[in-house]
Formats: sequence, structure tokens, C-alpha cells
Amino acid sequence: MLATRPISYAVLRGEVIDSDLIEFGGRGGDIAFLAPDPATIVDRLPLASPRLMEDLYALSFEDILDYLAELGERLHVDRNDRMREAREHSYATAPTTRPIMDHFFHDMPFMFDRERIRAMVDFTIGVDYLERWVEREVHGVKTAIRAYGARTLHIVAGNGPVLGALTVLRGAVTRGDTLIKVPSNDPFTTGAIARTMVDMAPDHPITRHLAVAYWRGGDEAVERKVYQPHAIEKICAWGGFASVKHVTKYIQPGIELISLDPKRSASIIGPEALASEAAIAETGRRLACDFATGNQTACASARMAYVLCGSDDDGIAKLKQLGQAAYDAMFTLPEVLTTKPKRYDASLRQQVDALRFSDDFYTVIGGEDGEGAVIVSHTPDRVDFWEYLADRTINLIPVDTLDEVLDVVDAWTQTVGIWPASLHETVRHKGALHGGQRFVELGYVFNGAGLVGPQDGIEPMRRIVKWIISETPTPAKKPFWEATAGDIQVIA
Amino acid sequence: MATTAPARDTEIEREAERWMNDPYAHFGHHNTRIHSLDPAHVAAVQLAAMNLRLQERRGQVQVLQKLADSQGIDRIDSLDALAPLLLPHDIYKSYPVSLLARQRFAQLTTWLSRLTRHDLSGVDVSACDSIDSWLTTIRDQTPLDVGASSGSSGTASFYPKSKRDYRLSMTGLRVQLAQKFGQDPRPGDIDDKIHAIIPLYRDGHASMGAFGKYSCEVFARGDPAYWHYCFDFKLSSDLMWLAARLRAAQAKGDISRVDVPPALLARREEWEQAQKDMPAQQLAFVNRMIHELQGQRVFVMSTSNLLYAAAKRGLEEGLSGVFAPDSVFMGGGGAKGVPLPDDLEEVICRFFNTDRMISAYGMTEMNSFSVQCEHDHYHVLPWVTVYLLDLDTGQPLPRTGRQTGRAAFFDMTADSCWGGIITGDLVTVDWDRQCPCGRTSVALEKQINRVSELQGGDDKISCAATPAAQAEAMDFLTGLGG
Repeated sequence: MLATRPISYAVLRGEVIDSDLIEFGGRGGDIAFLAPDPATIVDRLPLASPRLMEDLYALSFEDILDYLAELGERLHVDRNDRMREAREHSYATAPTTRPIMDHFFHDMPFMFDRERIRAMVDFTIGVDYLERWVEREVHGVKTAIRAYGARTLHIVAGNGPVLGALTVLRGAVTRGDTLIKVPSNDPFTTGAIARTMVDMAPDHPITRHLAVAYWRGGDEAVERKVYQPHAIEKICAWGGFASVKHVTKYIQPGIELISLDPKRSASIIGPEALASEAAIAETGRRLACDFATGNQTACASARMAYVLCGSDDDGIAKLKQLGQAAYDAMFTLPEVLTTKPKRYDASLRQQVDALRFSDDFYTVIGGEDGEGAVIVSHTPDRVDFWEYLADRTINLIPVDTLDEVLDVVDAWTQTVGIWPASLHETVRHKGALHGGQRFVELGYVFNGAGLVGPQDGIEPMRRIVKWIISETPTPAKKPFWEATAGDIQVIA
Repeated sequence: MATTAPARDTEIEREAERWMNDPYAHFGHHNTRIHSLDPAHVAAVQLAAMNLRLQERRGQVQVLQKLADSQGIDRIDSLDALAPLLLPHDIYKSYPVSLLARQRFAQLTTWLSRLTRHDLSGVDVSACDSIDSWLTTIRDQTPLDVGASSGSSGTASFYPKSKRDYRLSMTGLRVQLAQKFGQDPRPGDIDDKIHAIIPLYRDGHASMGAFGKYSCEVFARGDPAYWHYCFDFKLSSDLMWLAARLRAAQAKGDISRVDVPPALLARREEWEQAQKDMPAQQLAFVNRMIHELQGQRVFVMSTSNLLYAAAKRGLEEGLSGVFAPDSVFMGGGGAKGVPLPDDLEEVICRFFNTDRMISAYGMTEMNSFSVQCEHDHYHVLPWVTVYLLDLDTGQPLPRTGRQTGRAAFFDMTADSCWGGIITGDLVTVDWDRQCPCGRTSVALEKQINRVSELQGGDDKISCAATPAAQAEAMDFLTGLGG
């Protein structure tokens, strides 16, 4: 019986662990999987000593890119049994469907493109800062800054199999020691990547500075030992509070929490986008790309679209047209981007269905077959259950002024898709004041720099490194022991 | 064949009519009889009643007509066949919240009128400037007494219940609580004035307020000397809504953008002060009742948490209450997401010197309360059909074996609305096992959860925000979680 369950391998610093397996998951219709008993491996999860980071400094950035480029080559799912096996098992655990998962796996090697990584690192951190001390003379002192790798525990989200790959990549280029706690909605992929690394170069420093394992979030026996300042320096937690609520009690000086808070995203559409039949059709196509891609499981997925069409009858009529256009366009997108959702949320369905009876105030387009739905509000109100919009369900909301829209952009807002382009300048500035983090052209939410890019305004790349300062005085700097009281500027 | 109507069992239809119209009179207010019926007979009467109600209501309640038309259902031949005609509870809040904020009561009245059989077209709400005045106007001019409640998202739900619905509901409580199962009712159980102690409000449109008013009619038989409430005013639906909006704004991190009329926002301090003073006043009230009504038969009806708080503080101050042995202490279940303390029953029993605290499961959207038996099951009145719906498909689960699903009900006694409701509650029933208490009525297991609490799963992490994660984070940060 045990043998039939898929295994979430632990891969600890070049060693694949598949012994002492115990069962996890299996609640509420989820599949059960096996993983090494965390109690037997907990002592090997963290790096034994910070001095063991030294070997990463024998590598140049180009060496690291060489390693990652070769790894990328080996991650092609058609040529890699481990990845193929992980993909097979992940169909059951993932929130998305098979064609979408296939595409995630198919595209994963492209994340490891040398030039793409180089550009990303240079833009977010600056390669120089990773490679050497970057020095500038300030106030008579040669002041240098360098980004050092940290021993970081990553609590990774599981809504896409690429997030583990991204974490491995980020750890490598920052010369970090990377410990990944995999989630129960993606317990297989990251282990498969790590096993590929072991196959490729078991003794390479990058392989030796990666540990991947599953334990249940909140497992005190593990967390008490791992969440210690002598074991890790940073915790980078996707999913924010949901993933770290168990660990907040361990946070103390010496452990920095980087919380990649859960986010939601929206679209803002100006009246010009509805000016003609053709314009409505195009806007609908753009909108469909932003809410349907990945079946709306990502934080970047649009869930509400605010349309500056006004809430009079004429405006609502146009808004309904846009809703129909977006709904229709959803079905024209390729299945690698979006499919009928795996399982339409029953509570959401009930709430959507309730609105069908309130046709004075809402028009519901589609949704009868669990395929997704467009809900058109007839008043400037978002639906009462806006926080639960998922499974390709978007709410179009008519507004009269941009200010009404900005009221709903807040610190929980990640991406704002904007159309037409003439609105971009205003919305990104005002939206930034309200807490929005990423502003893109409508239709390009998932068609941008990608995950191997700056992500959003949270700056995870800059935050998983340690910024270290080094100072040496220039001859022009007068020492205190030679200074008069008038020369001394201690505090300033 | 298609042209001939199916043969109808008129005898069972006549019985169904009696159940629908005045079930307590039909059973002589006899609790034991009500809960000892043959389940097969109950099912037959329920089916007959459903068809009668469907014929009658589909021309009267617009949403039902729309649903029945879209489903193409004219007549049903099994209990489960009614499932597509059950209305999601969300429908009673399916209006845009800006209508409330902008006080568009005429539009809200039109919206409400689609949910009830009663005609609201003649109601003039042009002078209404608050939720309270709107609901009072409707109450004064129509058979309705709309039940209002505020949810955690800051939306108020309005269930167009009738006064008759409320009276039936309260009568059901009296019948089930005053009598001991297995015995005939004593004359006093049915007709005597009984002291009703309500540590809540004299009146209100939320069930916490309405409880007071209708218990006066049903328990005190209209005699104010037998009617005891803590707060001599009406629970304000506006203030409750304000509180819900404030909570929602706080969870969002921007208290400066509360979308309510300015006049209402100005009453914020009033509400906060009242909230602060409430526990002490309720405790003082309970203590006064203990003193004044010592040895008398009383019915104490409250939420479980409130009874607990009063009892706990009373015990700490060395007090306890001694009423007549046939007194009843009922705490309401279904506290929205509020966990009940482990020593709830123990503390309440100790303070009130009673063997047990009775819980009942019910909701504004249903007339019939299900009272808990000594084996911890909530027994459903026979005029209510229970459905457990599959969480994924929404289809009814089989009426065999032990099943857990989303609870839905059809209450044939519903006077104003359709009576078929899909709840947000996760309920378990063992259909094959009769409760050892002796009642033959359907028994809901004690553990009732919100379906929404199930979401999130086990150790699944996502970058996309969910309300639970957000609320938890805010509770944690603001210290409100404890």
C-alpha cells in the first residue's frame, strides 16, 4: 500500500533521502504522499556553520550562470525522468489542470537562460554588488557595499510548479544557502529539480547549498530546531501569514522575516476602450488574458475590472458587451494558458448563482457549467464575495471617476492592468500612493518579464541577500585624535 | 399519458395543508407526538406539501418563478427532486451595498419584493432615512417583519419574514422546550404565562432583537409582567451595520473609508460605548432576575456565549440562580465563527442550578428551530425537509448511511418566502440510525461547522490572497484574535 503513494523526496545538500518514509496529506479528497520522517532529517536541514558558505565565494557569477544553464538544459521534461515523474504526481496536487501544468513544466528550462538571469540580477541587485565590494567615496571615507548570500529558509507557495525552480535560481545567484520547505499543493517538483542537480554535480557548491524537504507547517519538533538564529538568518515566506503563522513565535533578533504577502490584482479600463465594437472586442481579449491565464490561481490574476464607463444605462449596456467579449475571448485562449477549471469552487458557485436572481443589479454571463463567469455589476459596487473570486470568475464594475477606483487599490494589490495606454501614467502614480505594486498594460499581466524578473514591489531578490558595509578612511579624513572639538561631526 | 395529471392522494394533501398552516395546532401542541412520527409518512406529507407550495408560491414569489422556469420544474416526484429549487442563502444579501450607503430604500424595497409573496408595491418608503426606519415602515404597513443580520464582510442580509413566521417559530420553541419528551404536555406547558428572560433587547429587526418581542407574545402571553428584557430599546440595525462596516474597513487597514452615511458614522461612539457597557448591564440584569424570580418557572433565552459570560462572572462573584425545576435555559447555536468555550455547559449549569443547557439550531431564514436532545442531536421538526448537499457538485447526498454535507432545508411552514434555503453550514446526519433518545425525527449531529471554514486546506500555500488569511493576519497584528 505504501509503495503506491508518490514520494516527496528530501534532498539535503547533495544527498537524496528516501528512507523512513511516513504519510502526509490525503485530507479532504487530496492525495496522500510519502516523505522522509522530518524527525530523522531535521538536524541536517540547516547548514552546520556559516563558515561553510565560503565555498560559494570560490565561484564567479559566470560560474554560477554556467551551472544554472546546464541545469536548465537537464530540466527538459521530455528528457528527465525525475521531472516527468514529478509532473505526473503533481496533476493531482496542483490547483490547475493538466494542459497548464504540462506547459509550466515544458517552459521551466527557459527560466534558466543565461542572459535572462543576468539581466534580472543586474536589474534587481546589480551583478557588481554580488561580485565585489562596490565602493564610493562619501564624506572622506571609501564606503563599500556588497550583497552577501544568506542562510534562508524559503516557505514556497504551491500554486505553480515554477516557484520552486525560481527559488533555487534565486538562491544560487545570490550565493545563498537555500532551505526549501515544499508545500502540500506542490510536494514533488522542487525535489525533482534538486535530484537533477545531484545527478549533474553532486559535489558542486550550489548543489551542496540546497536542502529541500517536506514537513507539515507547524510541526514543532522541526520548527523549534530550524527556526533558530544559529541555523538560519532569513525566512522568506510566500503566502504571508498563512504560511508563517506557526513560526511567528520563533521570530527573534537574528531572524529576519521576509513576508511575500498574499496579493490580489485588478484591471482599470478607461472609456476609450469601449468606444466602438472593435475596441470592445480588443479590450475583452486583453481582459481575458489577465483573468483566465493559469486559471486565475496566481496573485497577479485579475479578479475585478473597474471600467470608467459610467453607471448610467448606456454605460451598463457597454459594460455588458465588454463582459460578453471577455467571456467569449476566454475560450479562444490556448489550453496551455487556460482551461475549464479543475474544480469550480462550490461556495463561489452558490454566490454567483444567487446573483442571477438579482438581475436589476447584476448580469451573470456564463458560469452554468463550472467554466468560469463574468459578473457585470450595474452599480459601482463590487460583489459582496469579491475576495473569493477564483476559477476564472471576474467582476466588471462600472465607475464614473478614477478616484472611486483608487479607493480599492491598497497594500494587498499586486498587479494593476491598465487600458488604454493613455491612463497608464496617471494610474501608476496615483495607484502607487495607494499601495499598488505593479502596473502593466491590460493583457500583459502574464506576458512580461516573467518570474525571472523583478516580480513585484516587494523586492525579494534584494531582501534575501545581506547588505554589508565596509569603510576605510581616505588620507583627507582627519582622525579624532588629531581633531579639535570644532572639527568633529560624530553623529552627522 | 402526458396529458393526464398524475393521481393525487387528496387525503395526504389535506394533512399536508394542516401541517403547512398550523402544525402545532394539528398535533395538539404535543411535542412527543411531533417527534414520534413514522419517517415514511413524514416523507409522504413533505412531498405533498412541496408540490402544494410550489403550485401556490411560484406565481407569488418572483425568484422562485424564475428558478422554477429556468429549471423547467412544475411538479416533483421525490424529495430530492426539489433540490434544484432551493435558494442559496446569499440571495438575501444580493443587492449592491451602495444602495444602503446611499439610502436608496425604494430600490431596496423592489429588490426585497421579489423574495416574498407579500405585496410591497404600496409601501411608501420615501421618508425613510435609515435601515431601522425602512424596516419599521415595512413592518407597520405589511404582514412582514424583515429579519436583518450583518455578516463579517460588512454586508447586511435581509430576509423578508412575516410576523406569522416569527410567531410560528416562537411557538415551536415553546412546544419543544416546555415539554419533556416521552410525556404528555401538562396544561400549563401550553397555555400558562411563563416568565421569559431575555438578556437582550426589547425589540429589533435582527433575531437578537425580535426574540424579545415575540417571546412576550408566545411565552408571556402578552403580559408585560412576565416579559423581562435587559435593554429597554430596540436593537438598531443601522448600528449593527455600522459595526460590521467598521470591522470590514479595519480588516482592510483603512478605517478612514467606511462607506456609510455620515449621520450614521457620527453614531460610532454611541455604539462603541453601548458595547462597552453591555456586559456589565447584562450581568446586573441576570442578577436582578435571579433575585426577583426565585423559585418561578422561567425561560432564559440567549446566545450561548452571552449566557456563559453572565454565568461565569456571576460565579466569580459568588452568585447563583435558583428557579423552578422545570425552567429552561437555552443558548443559541450557530454563533457565526465564534468558538464556544469548552466548559460552556458546566459553567452555565452550575450558575443556574440546572441539569443541562439546551441548545437549538436555527436561523433567521427558517421558522423551525431544531432543539438538542440529551444525546446531543439537533432534532428537526417533521415539517422541515433536510438536505445534505455534496460540497463540490451541490447535488443531494443519499439519504442513507452517515453523510456530511452542506445543509439545506425546505420548511413547508414558511409563510412569506419560498422556504427552500441552502445554508453555509456543514452538517452530519446518520440516516440509518435512530437517535437513542427515542425521537424518530431527523437528527443532526452536534458538530456543525461553517463550510467556509473548510477552505484553505492542509498546509497549502498560495500567493493569492484569501479572506481568511487576511483576517487572521489583521487579528494577529491588532491583537483582536485572542
